[in-house]
Amino acid sequence: MSGAVAEGLLVGALAGPLVLLALCLMRPARPVLPALLALAPLPALAAALLVLSGPEIAVDLPSLRLSLRLDTPGALLLCAAALLWSFAGLWVAGWQRHGAGHLRFIVCWLLTMTGSLGIFAVADLPGFYFFFALVSLPAYGLIVHDDTAAARRAGAVNIAFAVLGEALLLLGFALLAAGMPTGSLKILDVMAALPASPWRTAAVAFTAGGFLFKMGAVPVHVWMPPTYTAAPIPAAAALSGAAVKAGVIGLLRFLPFDDAGLAPALVLLGLASAFYGVAVGLAQANPRTVLAYSSISQMGVIATLLGMGWAATDATVRLDAAFYGANHALAKGGLFLAIGVMAGRTGDRGRATIAAAAVLALGLGGLPLTGGALAKQAAKSALGDGLVGGLMLASTVGTTLLMMHFLALLAHEAGRPESVPGAAGRWAWRATVVAAVGLPWLLFGIVADDPGSALAPAALLAAAWPVAAGVGLWFVFRHWIDRLPRIPAGDWLTMLEAAFGSLHRLGDAAVWVDRRSRAWPLAGVSLLAVVVVLAAATALRG
Amino acid sequence: MTSALSTSPAGYLLVLAVIVPVVGMVLSFVAGGRHAERIALAVMPVGLGLALVIALEVWQQGGPLVYIVGAWTPPLGIALRADGFSAVMLVTTALVIAAAGTAARNPFATPPALLEARAPLAFWTLLQGLWAGLAVVFLGGDLFNLYVALEMLTFAAVPLVCLEGSARTVQAALRYLMFALLGSVLYLLGVALLYGVSGTLDIVLLAERLRGSSGTGPVVAVAAGLMTAGLLAKTALFPLHLWLPPAHANAPAPASAVLSALVVKASFFLIVRLWFGVLPGLADGAAMAVLGALGSSAVLVAGAVALCQARLKLLIAYSTLAQLGYLFLMFPLAAGAHPWSADAWTAGVVQALSHALAKAGMFLAAGLVAEAIGHDRLAGLRGLGRAMPMTVLALGLGGLSLMGLPPSGGFVAKWLLLQASVQSGQWVYTAVVLAGGLLAGGYVFRIVAPALAGGNLVVRTGIGRAREAIALALAAAAVLLGFAPSSLSAVLLIGRAVP
Repeated sequence: MSGAVAEGLLVGALAGPLVLLALCLMRPARPVLPALLALAPLPALAAALLVLSGPEIAVDLPSLRLSLRLDTPGALLLCAAALLWSFAGLWVAGWQRHGAGHLRFIVCWLLTMTGSLGIFAVADLPGFYFFFALVSLPAYGLIVHDDTAAARRAGAVNIAFAVLGEALLLLGFALLAAGMPTGSLKILDVMAALPASPWRTAAVAFTAGGFLFKMGAVPVHVWMPPTYTAAPIPAAAALSGAAVKAGVIGLLRFLPFDDAGLAPALVLLGLASAFYGVAVGLAQANPRTVLAYSSISQMGVIATLLGMGWAATDATVRLDAAFYGANHALAKGGLFLAIGVMAGRTGDRGRATIAAAAVLALGLGGLPLTGGALAKQAAKSALGDGLVGGLMLASTVGTTLLMMHFLALLAHEAGRPESVPGAAGRWAWRATVVAAVGLPWLLFGIVADDPGSALAPAALLAAAWPVAAGVGLWFVFRHWIDRLPRIPAGDWLTMLEAAFGSLHRLGDAAVWVDRRSRAWPLAGVSLLAVVVVLAAATALRG
Repeated sequence: MTSALSTSPAGYLLVLAVIVPVVGMVLSFVAGGRHAERIALAVMPVGLGLALVIALEVWQQGGPLVYIVGAWTPPLGIALRADGFSAVMLVTTALVIAAAGTAARNPFATPPALLEARAPLAFWTLLQGLWAGLAVVFLGGDLFNLYVALEMLTFAAVPLVCLEGSARTVQAALRYLMFALLGSVLYLLGVALLYGVSGTLDIVLLAERLRGSSGTGPVVAVAAGLMTAGLLAKTALFPLHLWLPPAHANAPAPASAVLSALVVKASFFLIVRLWFGVLPGLADGAAMAVLGALGSSAVLVAGAVALCQARLKLLIAYSTLAQLGYLFLMFPLAAGAHPWSADAWTAGVVQALSHALAKAGMFLAAGLVAEAIGHDRLAGLRGLGRAMPMTVLALGLGGLSLMGLPPSGGFVAKWLLLQASVQSGQWVYTAVVLAGGLLAGGYVFRIVAPALAGGNLVVRTGIGRAREAIALALAAAAVLLGFAPSSLSAVLLIGRAVP
């Protein structure tokens, strides 16, 4: 296919959701918008598939101050994210609750989708920062859709952490750009100039810190459980599966693989998240919250994987991490949809849903023949056989245990009438299951030298025993798990909120300072003081 | 330097830029009644066109435009000069005045039953007076001339605050008047001292003579302190801000928009002229650090106070105080001839422009909100998003620029400030810019979150889409500033004095 078509597709990937946004402004077009949501990510999917089967695509849009570049790791993630956005959009189309606030939901959906898809393809610093903001801030409108107190709290917490993460990222980017002698803001140029920058360590630390906020790394994971617990099902699916990968692509793009100074820190944070997510997830009673803690754990695995590759200055680990992330996107998104589907199901149909969900859930633990098993195989060489490799095996067992806990909770969701999905929703669920099972096999050839090795008996056995161990542990300890003291969603968030509440005293202090300094005598004194200080400062210099 | 003392080919445009609003003001006052409004609205596109042509000329010539009034060369005569900063400020002024004027047609229409009414006549006359004052501030090349322009500005701005005539607004206006007069006195004292030392008040000549002479140190230092403090009082930089919150929060919305967007920037503009134009040799070290410290405390304290406000207009007024603080980070970062100075200069100018557009849009939007629901308490905004989507969008887009999110002009300014602070090793300002962004995120959230929440808000009809569209257009312009072509930043640097 010619380059112009490829470039057009990549621009179309961003234009797709934006066209629908423009339609939101036209009143007559509004009723058909939900039906079009599933189509908006298709240009992005096409662009991703094109890159996966051919060379990467790069486009400069100077009038928009934007440059785009889609490479293979980006395309892996984009492919899965676009599929998930499409299926979740199908779910929204079949929603029974059209009404108050629906247009707001659609607008926020499209904005978040634009950010989520664009972040994989953007190639310059300001553009990356823009799409990162777009995938984080408008999500507020999705989270608070139900307008409950819990949803508003989750929305506010989400915004607070998004803004904090953005501040870190802005500082990191400013440090990156300050070290760039030519003034180019392209990510590739900036990263190439980084080794000579006097601020390289700080730049990498702050940039990666911003991305770890987005990935829900411990201890800044607290926004994730309340958010996924409160958001409507399709929003939780898209946010947990697709939007969170903005942090992953950030690490892929901005870790300097030739200077591994900070790699051990990333490995440590990743390991901590991987185990913390499993441990606290077991103490949850809401299946959505369990999935959120599982996300924290899985993002920790990706961070560990990247950290190990980084420590070995092995840049090819980016491909393995992207594949792991793509698999997680569809599996996690599918599991959230499963919670929604389950609400309308009882009896045999319910059991069938649980069976399908079990494939996805245990797949996260590496069930043989699933995408999860392929992802773990791809990650194996980077993780190694040492201490970290062993710990990762243990976390696999833990993930399986956590997923068994989830499936048990999922069974209790059967027949809850309040959020029964429409027919479109049930089709969205089926499509997600098919994609989550099938897509990893299609993509595996891109990341593995010998794709057939996944079917070798030794590989199947190696994948099977941690899953078997996890399932076995669950059967032994399930009553004990049920009696665990329940930890609130977001664990130490309540402490943070209390600390934040005491910040009001700082606000009161500022108000007091403001009131006093606006009194005439003090303002007059200030004016004279400014005269004297400025004159003295100038005279001392002169 | 001789080019700064002789009229350039298109220099007559500068005279027109001053004359047009003055003529409009006089005609409006003489013709009176409904004619005042018509004349003002007719003059606005002319002024905007002139400002654009001036900016284009400056851009194409790559140097300042000069007009020597009456061909009397300074120091005998006076000069009008337009460099890049003046040109973009002129354009922004014309834009904001035109937008505020159009938005004011409804609230300041003369009632059909009357031939003439006090508030409309005063508003349309004063608005043009204000505009004339701003034009002279941006173009004036002579310190005494600039004093006259500042006074003109103050005497036009103060009555705008109390057009409504209630005791509260009159009190706010008197506060403003008193403090601005104190500022004027200090400025005038400083001007007199400089004249005594150098024998001229022309900015270019003054800069040359001060550079050449030595031994005048203490007097010049005292003059600089007096003039800067006087101008700071008129800019309402924390802690000299006692008049701004009541004045800007109680004035009619179109007046608040102009006051917050433009009038406080005029005295800031003169501080820039003073330190970078007249005293570039002194513009490093301690004095600049003092201005940077005052700006930093404004960003932090006013940002925190904005976060604690219960009323929309007061919140926006305190946000003005915080955003003014960013402007003063320009002094420590842009002073001297360092690799980052030009970036910091551009950051200051872009911050002035984008804040002017964003804040004008937000004040107009806040005025519409107050008009539609009868109050502006943040707690009572639930459901506003559905009732007035365009107005909420205007508040949101303006907020985007205040927070410094891309692609807005606010982002460009903060990005460049961060770069300059990192490269110069002045990490304090890095922290201030980031903390200020967090505070802005907080107070914008306090506007947007209730507005987006569900609720059945009863809205008075008759606001009219047109006025909502004007507020939205201004806020959108602040956001689109980030897409400005890179040749714009070249224009901003034209005429920047480098020591």
